[in-house]
Amino acid sequence: MISPAIHIKDLRKVYIVSRQEASTRATLQSLVHRRKLEIPAVDGISFGLASGEIVGFLGPNGAGKTTTLKMLSGLLHPTAGEVTVLGYIPWKREKSFLRQITLVMGQRNQLVWDIPALHSFELNRAIYRIPAEDYHRMLGELTELLELEPLLYKPVRNLSLGERMKCEIAAALLHRPSVVFLDEPTIGLDVTMQRRIRSFIAEYNRRFGATVLLTSHYMADVEALCRRVVVIHHGRLLFDGDLSILVQKFTSHKTIVVQLGDYQADLRSYGEVVSCADGRFTLRVPKAKTAHVTERLLADLPVIDLLVEDPPIEEVIERVFAQGNP
Amino acid sequence: MKALAELYLQQFKTTLASMFQYRASLLIWMIGQVLEPLVYLIVWSIVSNTSGGSVGNYTTKEFAGYFIVLMLVNQFTYTWIMYEFEYRVRQGALSFALLRPVHPIHSDLADNVSSKLITLPIMILIAAGLAVIFHASISPAPWAIALFIPVLLLAFMVRFLIEWTLALAAFWTTRVGAINQTYFVLMLFLSGQIAPLTLLPSPVRVAAGILPFRWMIGFPVELLLGRLTLVETLTGLGAQAAWLLAGFVLLRIVWRAGVRIYSAVGA
Amino acid sequence: MKYLRLLGAFFWVSVAGELAYRVNFLWQLFQSILSLVVSLVGLGVIFSYTDTLGGWRPDEILALVGVYFLVGGMIGLVIQPGMEQLIESVRDGTLDFTLTKPEDAQLIVSIRRVEIWRLIDIGLGLAVLATALIRLGEKVGGWQAGMFILMLIAGAVIIYSFFLILATLSFWFVRVENILVIFQSMYEAGRWPVSLYPGWLRYGLTFIIPVAFATTVPAEALTGRLTWETLLGAVVLAVVLLTVSRVFWRVGLRHYSGTSA
Repeated sequence: MISPAIHIKDLRKVYIVSRQEASTRATLQSLVHRRKLEIPAVDGISFGLASGEIVGFLGPNGAGKTTTLKMLSGLLHPTAGEVTVLGYIPWKREKSFLRQITLVMGQRNQLVWDIPALHSFELNRAIYRIPAEDYHRMLGELTELLELEPLLYKPVRNLSLGERMKCEIAAALLHRPSVVFLDEPTIGLDVTMQRRIRSFIAEYNRRFGATVLLTSHYMADVEALCRRVVVIHHGRLLFDGDLSILVQKFTSHKTIVVQLGDYQADLRSYGEVVSCADGRFTLRVPKAKTAHVTERLLADLPVIDLLVEDPPIEEVIERVFAQGNP
Repeated sequence: MKALAELYLQQFKTTLASMFQYRASLLIWMIGQVLEPLVYLIVWSIVSNTSGGSVGNYTTKEFAGYFIVLMLVNQFTYTWIMYEFEYRVRQGALSFALLRPVHPIHSDLADNVSSKLITLPIMILIAAGLAVIFHASISPAPWAIALFIPVLLLAFMVRFLIEWTLALAAFWTTRVGAINQTYFVLMLFLSGQIAPLTLLPSPVRVAAGILPFRWMIGFPVELLLGRLTLVETLTGLGAQAAWLLAGFVLLRIVWRAGVRIYSAVGA
Repeated sequence: MKYLRLLGAFFWVSVAGELAYRVNFLWQLFQSILSLVVSLVGLGVIFSYTDTLGGWRPDEILALVGVYFLVGGMIGLVIQPGMEQLIESVRDGTLDFTLTKPEDAQLIVSIRRVEIWRLIDIGLGLAVLATALIRLGEKVGGWQAGMFILMLIAGAVIIYSFFLILATLSFWFVRVENILVIFQSMYEAGRWPVSLYPGWLRYGLTFIIPVAFATTVPAEALTGRLTWETLLGAVVLAVVLLTVSRVFWRVGLRHYSGTSA
């Protein structure tokens, strides 16, 4: 069996913080005596990634996603458990390890602010010791895939958020890492840019066979890129498997969208009416009843069009998280 | 090695481009750098003139020479890394440095040297101008001039290593402001920036010799002024070499400990 | 007065914010004392080799050091933080919020940020000043004291107006974040009487960056060196600069709000 690119077993990370108080009396008290709190950010998780997989790492804010990524890239030292990436122990930060990975953090810049992105690229070339030929070829491909041509010579501070993100991603991939960690790469970007970056990541994975672990709380990111998702909440794994199975397992309802000729119809007897406008009705019905309700609608009403959908994945994930709450 | 040279070259280009953007701030900063030794120069000149033309073994013109050379040596050996590091830790920029397969000290060293390639020529011009205005005088022997270069380079390396290591205090505390200030105040007294060390009481001179400050700044200045014998100079070189070694060792130890702390707590 | 109440409100917000950080006070005290030690040691070394410096006696220079810290503290307490924040808020657009408030915008931006730790500097400055005055004894009479207060006020007004003019430049030039630093760098030269410096430097420190009015002039008043020309000059300059800065501010504000200047 091929050994996995990423291997995690019983990983734990505990933070110790001092209690912050809000009232004046408590603030004055804390001048004398600080109370410490142990917060398990990651509480015993295990999973692995095969080489070339793209996996989505889902969870609400504070779930432990970023902490896990930092442990995988060697920035954080785990409190307990095992973790290996490409056979290396990340926190040892061996140079040959660092040359094969990359971590992209949305809204955090590694590019030098006042000068054109191209300068930062050249700096990375020297840092990662990329041979000139490989560098130029990679730069060419990245420029083409991300449409960087007009951006390369402008100072980074003059770029828009989306343009900057594209350059950040390019800078992070110049050395053709085989493991790519993406922490909320599309956060704060407009829809078009998000789509473009998503398709780029898919293309990069396809072309170079890189293993990609992507965290996000945008379902669209995960839907577009990942067949497999890992869900984390309160530092624990709630689910690890195919996205479609996740949807199946955690949905109890389906959505029926029906276009009628009669704008005034009252569909409340068929199911929960979520919205209606210009004869287009959206109904929410229990999964088991979907076939039956559909039949009735088609029989009773002048249906122009009818569509049966899974509920938005956001809703599914909400339910998964709700399950994970104590 | 070649890869490292490439890195330094790229950092040089980056620094150059960035500096150009900040030329106004740079100018303001340089004015401050000139003003401080200039003020002491004027004050000591006045004292010297009202004391019959000299104080201790410094004549008025020699005071001028002293402070102007001091200004240049300070410029040559200067680092700002102690302020920069606190900012890096706070902003999380240190994470990016830790993700890279190269020790962050390299780009800092390259950045430091690169920026001085621009500022030093300007400072030398200003120094020349001041030397004319204040009739500065120095009298080094030819061997002193020759030895000045290696002494100056060693002084820079010692100062850079020690200040880089001190900057790592940011790993442990946010109170780097107080640490920095204490350091710079000590440096002010013990490296000869307030007055030539020979004019200060002897306990201060002794402390200055034991601590690295004299070897970072005062020593090269005294050498170029022609105030040291060959023996004193060679001994001094030895002291500098010793501090260089100590600096390397300290750096490795503190850096490792710092990274351990950082990766335990995160940012 | 309503303005005093406003100042008090901003003051209290700053205090409450700082109280959350323990030991801050001790560290700030430490740093301020360190800065004072530098001045005093420098003074001590110089006067171990001479009795007068350009006609100034040691206790008179000590008084100057006291004024240096006192005025430095005043600037750092209210003037500089306010102007720094003004420049920031022009850059990130939060100035708009201030402009919608009912109070005069200039007033608000001037007093809304208070760096309370600078009270330590003011305290230290007063202590040094008191020490110097005791040592100078009967040489300081009521007239000197009165002129001293007047010159302090004039100096404060001049410095404030100067800072405001610099900060107002940020309406046109966005990249002036560091411009206030130029005063800080030059202020160092205020530790010694500006009259000591050669003509060109003296001119620069009086008329270009008005450090002389911050420290030397009040010290001259206290030690009986104040000439009528300087006295009149300081008062006139204070009034003129206050007016000019206010006008410049209005112009800048109009430019910022988009209406034609």
